Formats: sequence, C-alpha cells, structure tokens
Amino acid sequence: MAEKTDSDFEPNIVAFLCNWCSYAGADLAGTSRISYPSNVRVIRVMCSGRVNPLFVMNALQEGADGVLISGCHPGDCHYMHGNYYARRRFNLMRNFLEYLGVEPDRVRMSWVSASEGAKWKEVIEEVVGGIKEIGPMDQFRRRHLNW
Amino acid sequence: MAVKRLSKEKVADALGELSKFRLIAPAKSDDVVVFKQISDPAEACLDYGNSTVPPKKFAFPQTETLFRFVTGSPELEEKNVEEEGTTIIFGLRPCDARAMAIVDKLFAWDFDDPYYLKRRELTTLVGMACVEPPSVNCFCTSLGGSPFGTEGLDLLLTDMGDHYLVQALTDKGKKLEETLSSQLEGAAADDEKKAKEIAAEAEGKIRRSIATGGIPEKLPGLWENELWKKISAACLGCGICTFLCPTCHCFDIQDEVEELGEGRRCRMWDSCMFEEYTVHASGHNPRPTRKERTRNRINHKYSYYPDKFDVIACVGCGRCINLCPVNIDILDILDQVVDAS
Amino acid sequence: MVDLTKLRQTAKEVISREDVRELIGYRPGTYGFRARPAFVMGLDEVEQLMFTPACVNNLASYIVLEEKLPVKRGEEPDLRKVAVMVKGCDSRALVQQMEEKAYDRDRILVLGIPCRGVVDMAKVEARFPNILELGEIGLEGDKFVLSFNGNKEEVAKEELVADKCLRCRYPTPLVYDQLLDAEVERFADDDYADIEELGKRSAEDKWTYWEEKFSRCIRCFSCRNVCPMCYCEDCVLGRLQPQWMRRSVDISENTAYHIARAYHLAGRCIQCGECQRVCPVDIPLMELNRKFYKDVEELYDYEPGTNVENPPLLSTFKVEDREDFIM
Repeated sequence: MAEKTDSDFEPNIVAFLCNWCSYAGADLAGTSRISYPSNVRVIRVMCSGRVNPLFVMNALQEGADGVLISGCHPGDCHYMHGNYYARRRFNLMRNFLEYLGVEPDRVRMSWVSASEGAKWKEVIEEVVGGIKEIGPMDQFRRRHLNW
Repeated sequence: MAVKRLSKEKVADALGELSKFRLIAPAKSDDVVVFKQISDPAEACLDYGNSTVPPKKFAFPQTETLFRFVTGSPELEEKNVEEEGTTIIFGLRPCDARAMAIVDKLFAWDFDDPYYLKRRELTTLVGMACVEPPSVNCFCTSLGGSPFGTEGLDLLLTDMGDHYLVQALTDKGKKLEETLSSQLEGAAADDEKKAKEIAAEAEGKIRRSIATGGIPEKLPGLWENELWKKISAACLGCGICTFLCPTCHCFDIQDEVEELGEGRRCRMWDSCMFEEYTVHASGHNPRPTRKERTRNRINHKYSYYPDKFDVIACVGCGRCINLCPVNIDILDILDQVVDAS
Repeated sequence: MVDLTKLRQTAKEVISREDVRELIGYRPGTYGFRARPAFVMGLDEVEQLMFTPACVNNLASYIVLEEKLPVKRGEEPDLRKVAVMVKGCDSRALVQQMEEKAYDRDRILVLGIPCRGVVDMAKVEARFPNILELGEIGLEGDKFVLSFNGNKEEVAKEELVADKCLRCRYPTPLVYDQLLDAEVERFADDDYADIEELGKRSAEDKWTYWEEKFSRCIRCFSCRNVCPMCYCEDCVLGRLQPQWMRRSVDISENTAYHIARAYHLAGRCIQCGECQRVCPVDIPLMELNRKFYKDVEELYDYEPGTNVENPPLLSTFKVEDREDFIM
C-alpha cells in the first residue's frame, strides 16, 4: 500500500483530453510557453463522452498513478451532450474506486476550455501535487509476476 | 509399513518442521476453507470438511507462466519448476489425492507435461482420512474411492481422538516420516485395528451412491437423447463445477505482454462449460448451447476418460453438487442416464 | 403461503395455451431443503411445481440466458411466449430487461409471486446440517417451519431469512399477468448502513478488506452468468479484442473484473442478490453493487427495475447533475 514517499517520486498521470476544448487549451498552454509539471501523458479523444470509465481502471492497472479526464464546460460540448454523460459516469466511477480503497485524488476530472491555457497549468499542478502526496499507485496494478 | 503416532499436541511442532519446505495446508480466509501456503503453523485449520477449491491447483496452478520472452531475443526463458522446491500438501482428503492420480494419467499420456509432472515429483501428499464425510453429497465409495483411501497419497493421517495415526504409503512418505522423527512416536499395538474399525464406520456413513457399471458403455448411445436438453435447461454456463472439480484439467494458453517488448506465455484454467471454450476463429461454435456442453462434460468424465485410461474421471467429492447454483446434481444426471432408453 | 393447488392449476392453464412454449418455475431440489428451477413443456410436468421460501433462484435470468441459434432453412423462429414465475425482486429484473429493450412485453407471460422472504440456504444448512432426505420449508407468520425426516421445527424468521430480504423494497412483483398470492405490503427498506460504514474506513483498510476478498476469486463467472442483467453476447469481461482483463487469475485482473462488472451494473442492478449467493468463495458482491445503487439513488434519484418507461440511467443526464468533484 502506497505511503507518503520522498520528493523523488514523480507520478505517472494519464490524461484523456477532449479534442475541441481541453486538448486545445493544453496546446495553448504550450504555445504560450506556460511551464507546468511534465508528469502527464495526454491521450486525445474527440469528446470527454468517449472516455469509457474502464479506461481509468485499465490505466491504473498498467501503472498510472493517476488519471485525469478533461472536457468542455457544460453547455459547450462540441457534440452537445458528451460531457454531461461523462460527468455522470465519472462521478460514479470515482466514488466506487474510493470505496475500494483507491484514493479519490487519483481520479480527477476538469473542465478546461480552448482558451484556458492558464487554467490547464493550475489543473496539472493540482493533480500532480495531490498525487505526489499520496504516493505511487499500488493496489491493483499489474505486477510482473516473474514466475 | 510400520504405523506411527502424532500426538495432537505435537502437530504445531510438526507443521513448523514442515514449513521449512513449501507447506500447503488448509486455512481460513474469512469463513472459507482454502488450501494455501503457510509459514506459521497457527494459520493451519485442521478442523474442516473440505476446501472449496481443490488442492489440484498446487500441481496444476490456475495461472502459471510457461516461459517469458523479450522482443528481439530468440531465447525464451523457460519456467524452472524445480525452483518451487519441495512441496508438502498437508491434510488433503483421499478423494482429492485420488483425483491427482487420475489426472496424472492425462498429463503423462501422449506428451509428458514437464510442468505438471515436475510439480508432482516435488510434492509429497499427506492425507487426512475422513472420519466423517465432509459433505452429505460425498459419494467416493461409488467410484472406487474411500474415506480412508490411500491411492495417490504418500502418507495418511487418521484422527484417533487425541492423536493421529500416521501411515507411510510410499518412499516419499517414509522420507517425510524421517523428517518428522522427533515429533512422531511408535503406535500402540491396537492402533491399526482401531483405525480399520473407524474406516469401516466411515464408509458406512457415506449416504449417496450410484452404480456406475455400464454407464461408460451406455453413454455413446445416448448422444441424441432428449435427456441432455432437460438436464442442461437450468445450467447457467458458469465454471463452478469445472473449477471446483479435482479431476477437471482443461486449460487455455495465452500470451500476455507485460511491458512493451516483454511478456510471458501462460497457461490458465479453462472450462468446457464456457461458451468460448469451443469458439472457432471463424465464429462457428460446435457446442453452441449449454445442452451440447453439458453432454460433453458428462461424456468426458464418464465415457471418454474411462475409454482411454480405464478410470472414471470423477472421485465423488460432491463439490459440484454442493456448489452448483441451480442444483444440477451429477447423481441425478447419472440416474437419468441409467434410466434412459 | 402460496396455495400449491392454485399454483399448479394456473400452471396447467398457462402451459395449455397455444401461444406459450414453456413455463419456468420451481421444483424440489435433489437433496435436503434445496429447490431448483423447473422447465415445464407439458401438462405432465406440472405436478412437480411448487413455491416455498427455499425457492431462491431468480428465474428472470433464464429469459435472457436462452441461446438464440440461427433458424434452419425453411423453419420459422419459435416466437411463442415463455411463462416465468417471479418473486418481487425477480420481477424487477424483467422490468429492467424490458426497459433496456431486451425483448417485448408480449414475449413473456409473468406469474407473479408476492414474497415475504426466502431463506439463506447456507444458514439453513448450518443450522440443520447433513440433511439428505428432501425436506420442506414453509413460512407461517414470522416463523420458518422446516419439515424433514418426520420432524417439524420452527425457527424465527430473522435467523434463517436471506439478508437481502431484510432490505426488500418490492415484495410484490412490479410486472405480472397473474398474481399467485395476495399482495404483500412493503415491510423493509435499505438504509445502506453497512455500505456507509465500509465507506468511512481509511483507504488502506478498505483496500485490505477488498484485497482479501478479490484474492479468493477464481473467475468462475458464476456471478455474471446468474445475473439477469448480464446478458451481453460479447461480454466485456471475456472479450479478447480488446482484452480488458486477462484470463490470468491474480489480484490485478480479479479487481479489474469486479470493477468492470459492478460498473456495468450501475443503474441496472436490481438487487436480487443472486451473485453473492452463488459465489463459491463467498465474496460479498452485494456490497459492491449496493454502493452503486446507493450513489445512483442519491445522486440521480433513479431506481432500476421499477418502471419500464424509464430511460436507462447512463443514457440520460440533467444539466444540474453534481459536479463538485470537477475542477
């Protein structure tokens, strides 16, 4: 079970970003030369509503210490309602994982619009900071069984 | 071979001695009896009927790595079963040991399975005779077994009240007795006689039975019989009967990638009752419904296996009857087979 | 108590109908107090039918379990109705299946049995061990009456009743063509006390708890196969393309299995409790499903299996859904 680790711990975080808002926002942060922690590996999806909650489970199994799903603000979804569905799904999944003993700070969700490059930095800093506090994900990660 | 005694006060000591090897004993996980590796004798629970999952998993693990591979390297790193070391399974019931002897025939049949056979070679089986049948659904005596059966065992323990009678049955058993020489004592003169009386009484306590004579010969003729539809109607197609059966041995082999470029090939239990068991790559399934799969399972155990190995692949442990969620009962099925025309 | 004469008479009438193919009910089991499903195709099989507190199976699973094989050339598919006997909890499965458009209402004929509780067979067999000869269980007032080997014993209901019945909100079936007994008024509710208690433990304690349970899992798929809501032909738990969870059995894959299954039941599990009953290694699966049930009720005011007109939970949303967890 993960304990608070020393400051050497660099979490691996997988982020699912919707193409139209969050990915563009993250891109804006880049072009604006805003500096933010590099722990996040981004996977672009067309809409946050595409993200299957089992992706979260799979990411944690494969060794991600945290997962972030980010989409358009409610009302702004390029596909009208995708983010509303995502909101319901991740509320349920997050609560359930917490119930199993996975710290709630490991599964985060955010609304970041295409113009919110600065917000993107804050989101990443908060997510990374939170997970640094908790430590590496250990509960049900796939372990090399060796033999 | 001369029998010995193990006083119940010395059991913890004996287990402590055995835990220097890889010691598998019955233990409790919450209220469930499981066979697992123990290092502390206090973990062992010898007041039990039988485990839910049979100890077959220590010769035939539910998941085992066969070899590991690395991209770009032509060398495969093969599993070395020898590294598991000497294993002692303590306290298994005679039916489960007999089941291992039955399954041995398959794994040494047209191909010597190196993993299974090596494990069997490294394992000593210390049995615990059934003074009381673990379950009302036991029927070992109908299949050539017995609550005090010795087939497949290296040592047999009998609970005599304040001590266990210990009988070594094979060279491995004798060797283990030597390891426990400080805990074992000589048996009393009439210990063996008393044990035989308890054994006879125990056999009398088995309440369910089936006359199996003629069943292997009759089954092939019942292929198109309507009884299979009736029997399988309630079946859910889960794997409980197969996974908990000590003689079931079907497996699947899959490759798993663990990291980019590295992986393993592993073997895991599979069940003929699963729909995917016979699905072809084309999508065609020669056993598309539960009726075909139930028919296959009964035929495999009671017709094909005896045909090849002269023994019915069932030891009467009763687990399938106890744990089938819909009360499909092998004895009920066999009654119908006997009655079918 | 259900009048068996009336039950069998009704069954005879139903199975005699031309538009009914088979009737799924209960019959005595093969040992002890057990009962098991009965599949009646003709009048000669009706006599074995019964209903007692030993009838724990959820027969609604069989409606969706039946394999739909391709029809042979020249043959027409058999579209006759399937008649099924359901208790209150089981009927919710039928409602939820129809809510999801698994089949049309006219494909089934529902014989509803208002229920005041079934037994937990593990408790019965612990209390009365080693009973081989067929015995019977009845419910008279607030006592279970067990008849076996010429004896009759009365046991207070709360000692043998299944835990799920102490939380039952719908003892009378919510969908039926005929009721086989008088309606039963709601006598219990679920306050989720145990779910809340579990939820209050530290993350470490929670994981220790679940790790012990999931380590026992042998992936027999019994929980999935018995579940009336698990009827996908290409189930996510066994798919190879993509492979969500590997066939290898270890804590990682077992946890993934249970997360995936519980999640796929969010807003769909109708609380029949069969999964927990059938698990051979006693994993408390209802503690997983009820967590979702509680959240779905509290967050989205939705109860599955109560109204065929309801849209499925995760295909809907409200603009004002909670988002305090979102940055």
